[in-house]
Amino acid sequence: MTRLSTALKWGLLLWMAVVIWAAFMWVPSATGFKGESSRIVFFHVPTAWVATVAFLVSCIASVIYLFRREPRDDARAAVSAGLGLLFAVLATVTGAIFARIMWGAYWNWDPRQTSITILLLIYAAYFALRGAVADTEKRATLAAVYSILAFVTVPFLMFIVPRIYWSLHPDVITNADPDNRLDSAHLRVLLASLVGFTGLFVWLYTIGSRIETIRRRRQQEVL
Amino acid sequence: MSDLAGIMVVTMIIWIGLFAYVYRLDRKVGRLED
Repeated sequence: MTRLSTALKWGLLLWMAVVIWAAFMWVPSATGFKGESSRIVFFHVPTAWVATVAFLVSCIASVIYLFRREPRDDARAAVSAGLGLLFAVLATVTGAIFARIMWGAYWNWDPRQTSITILLLIYAAYFALRGAVADTEKRATLAAVYSILAFVTVPFLMFIVPRIYWSLHPDVITNADPDNRLDSAHLRVLLASLVGFTGLFVWLYTIGSRIETIRRRRQQEVL
Repeated sequence: MSDLAGIMVVTMIIWIGLFAYVYRLDRKVGRLED
């Protein structure tokens, strides 16, 4: 580890610690939300954001794989899709907790909840596909094509569908209703949390890619 | 301690635990690379 990367990692620890403190202790409860439910926004929005970024990275790595046919690009696509799935699950769980406080039920098949469920199933199928094909080259090609097609659905399911249908889900950043919007202090903490979560994703993605490289190197040594 | 402070402490413990785990994993991967 270089000095810079070590400093960045310890900086991330401190950064997120400050975000957690600010989310619960510094900002007041937002108006238009029941109790303290608005505080979960500082963790729910960044996890959903990182999931979207991770699926995008997986799509880009898949396109690069189809051009270069380098196994490391296939590994990067898989690592990123796995992280996307993990963060999408976290976004679903934090969203369900928010729904319980605001609307009295963890799950009510709101368009947002339905669309993220479909997205989770689409990316779970990506790993089912990877597990079903034994030949590494064929698997990588099929997975790359599937990852690109799967990402086409991401903007549709994450941004378009929830806005077409009436939804309970608050649009706290872009809406015009001042009673149901985050003020500047909330937005600052949300932005800081987005930066922190993105940093965490980059770190996890790097580790995952390095593990895949080691795994491939060892497999080649055995052969 | 208020409920909110309690939730903050629990969240902080989860974050520090996660960081420690990932940091250790990172170092272990670094050793395997050498």
